[in-house]
Amino acid sequence: MIQIRGLSKSFVGQDGSVVHALRDVDLDIDENEFLTILGPSGCGKTTLLKAVAGLIPWNDGDILIDGSAVRGPGPERSMVFQNFALLPWATVLDNVGFGLRMRGIGRAERDERARALIEMVGLSGFETKRPGELSGGMQQRVGIARALAVEPRVLLMDEPFGAVDEQTRRLLQEELLSIWERRRMTVVFITHSMEEAVLLGDRVVLMSARPGQIAEIVPVPLPRPRSSDVGAIERSSDYVEVTAYLWDRLRDMHTEHRPSKVAG
Amino acid sequence: MTATAGPRPARRPGLARRVLDANLPYQLLAFAVFAGVWEVYAREWGGLLIPSFTETVEATAELLGSAELWRAMWVSNQALVLGFGIAVLAGVPAGILLGRFRLAERLADVYLNILLVTPMAAIIPLLVMSVGFGLASRVILVTIFSIVMIVVNSRTGVRQVDPALIEMARSFGASERQVWTRVLLPGALPAIMTGIRLGLGRAVTGMVIVELLMVSTALGGLILEYRGLFKAPLLYGTIVIILAEALLLISAARWCERKLTRWAGSA
Amino acid sequence: MSALVERRGATAVRRRRLSWRRLPAAPVSLAAGAVLWELIGRVADVPFFPPLTTVLGRLADMVSSGQIIGSLGDSLLNLALGFGISLAAGLAVGVAMGRYRKVEAALGVYVYALLTAPSLVFAPIFFSLLGEGRGSIVAVVVMYTVFIVIINTASAIRTVPGHLVEMARSYGARETQVLLRVILPAAAPMIMAGVRLGVGRAVTGMINGEMFIAVVGLGRIVTQAGGRFDGASVLAVLLVIIAVALGAVALVQAVDRRITRWVPKTTKDGL
Repeated sequence: MIQIRGLSKSFVGQDGSVVHALRDVDLDIDENEFLTILGPSGCGKTTLLKAVAGLIPWNDGDILIDGSAVRGPGPERSMVFQNFALLPWATVLDNVGFGLRMRGIGRAERDERARALIEMVGLSGFETKRPGELSGGMQQRVGIARALAVEPRVLLMDEPFGAVDEQTRRLLQEELLSIWERRRMTVVFITHSMEEAVLLGDRVVLMSARPGQIAEIVPVPLPRPRSSDVGAIERSSDYVEVTAYLWDRLRDMHTEHRPSKVAG
Repeated sequence: MTATAGPRPARRPGLARRVLDANLPYQLLAFAVFAGVWEVYAREWGGLLIPSFTETVEATAELLGSAELWRAMWVSNQALVLGFGIAVLAGVPAGILLGRFRLAERLADVYLNILLVTPMAAIIPLLVMSVGFGLASRVILVTIFSIVMIVVNSRTGVRQVDPALIEMARSFGASERQVWTRVLLPGALPAIMTGIRLGLGRAVTGMVIVELLMVSTALGGLILEYRGLFKAPLLYGTIVIILAEALLLISAARWCERKLTRWAGSA
Repeated sequence: MSALVERRGATAVRRRRLSWRRLPAAPVSLAAGAVLWELIGRVADVPFFPPLTTVLGRLADMVSSGQIIGSLGDSLLNLALGFGISLAAGLAVGVAMGRYRKVEAALGVYVYALLTAPSLVFAPIFFSLLGEGRGSIVAVVVMYTVFIVIINTASAIRTVPGHLVEMARSYGARETQVLLRVILPAAAPMIMAGVRLGVGRAVTGMINGEMFIAVVGLGRIVTQAGGRFDGASVLAVLLVIIAVALGAVALVQAVDRRITRWVPKTTKDGL
């Protein structure tokens, strides 16, 4: 459903040289696919996601969703941010309802839908709390609920679990899988963790840095649903094999290029 | 929904782009608009009291060539130099002591708070009653205006030195004196310099205010005199010159501050 | 900018100190000061420093004669008008400067210059433009107040986290929605810091303006009393002025606390 054709983005660095954040990226994402994008920092994976979200301009190429070109944010897409991007002054309820409010949905319906999502992510009872009173994991649950509240067909996730501790991260991965298994949608999930990419994805897009390009697309031969027994999946030979393969490829990239300093 | 994304050609910034990115063209434009509006307003609706922009520029140039102005400058700035000097010499040590000794600080705190928000100009009549219309009352007012800022910032500077650094110095056997000269004072220097710069701004304010409100001498006296004589261009010219002096002094102070506290980064 | 940060830092430190376990120091210190004032006043016996009791007696006389109340009303009206205009204009210009680089480029340097310039020198200009009356005094108040509001608003807007704006845009928020629902609330704590500084400056501007253009208000009483060499009246009015200044600041702080209740305590002190 998402087609990316020859996408290129470059910018002029502070020293005046041209930096290619993305060069000639082609990618097709199927309806209801869970696609993970893996790569070293500076490989342009966040740039790619933001382009799909319609948040940044690019230099060349096209992004089509169901055949129509992306020219800005749209109601069929919603995004989950690495640093949560919650409004610190708003309650959990108002944060979850934010996207609905931007679409002009009235208070009553907004709150009703927000409450349902809050329950789904396991935050019932926290409706009137503010983000500052929540742990990182709970904050990202709010971020996920906010993204789901607008009932997107495409969920764009930018290293959503990168800023939480390891235990919370595993819980959130399981919950995301179980939510997605109940409520299918297209997910584009950025990560720098090989294990996360394999555990969650149908396919893993491996990107290389400088210029940001797709190095390889690796299918993940693991059965679904996966949320019921994540432990068994992680012990399976397919999981170990794919993860090991990805690590080989990533290590090659690191020896080819010096690690880049630009976050991305 | 506006088209925020989508393909856009990328170019290296050309000359036009660089000009548009710089600040100066916009500053000049803003000034030109201001001068133009002033000129038109003064020509159309001004009267005896409102000179045009060009008249003001001419009067300013004329004033800069007149002995009267420089005499007034000299008299005004005597009060500024003396008053500000006293404020620095007294205010920095006072602030450092307040920062180091909790009890003194606790007792002085409420007064510093009051002094920070109180319009000091209201005590000008008391000064005039006590020491007359001469240099002394102007010097005292300049000192009073500027010293609070210097004390408060010096105190904050000493207080914000990381206690861990003092412990570190002590652990290496530093004496009390060495703790002061090697840790406390260097650590407090950026804040002290900020206080001195802000104090200078207030000192200039004090110098002008005292002359405008009570002691009609020097630059403030010139303003009042030109106003009385309806010499509007000269009145405006004097104001321009006072503003220019204030901005020059403050820029100089900011430059010194940057030179002296370069290690502190942008603070 | 560093200047403002320093000042805000100083205010925050002071506030924290006033709030916990240090409260008793202020009354003790004030009482000691009052006793000292009384003693020095009695011993020195000079017209420009009368003892506290004399000043308070004079204050009571002036209040009961209605002189203070009328002038206080005039002064507060000047203050409210000037402060209100400064808030409206300061927020508008500050938002424009914080949001649009070209506006910042065009106006920034002038706003900084006017912030540091001695604001009272503009009084003669207002005098010639607006005449000898309330308008000129209000203009002086605006001159004292508006620039600190502009500068704090502009830098508050600029420091709003980019990811919040991006988040709002990803949900299709329009420019006005981004401004009203994200940027202004996020900038509110720092804007209020500017407003807090602004109200102190507004009181100063009010008194200085009234002293220079002595037609109405508390400043006129000071000027007149000074002309009569009446030290007790000057000090009596000065006490009223201090009360007005502290009251105005306290009022703004109360509003500030309501607006910025969401800011966590630890970071609030830094603002």
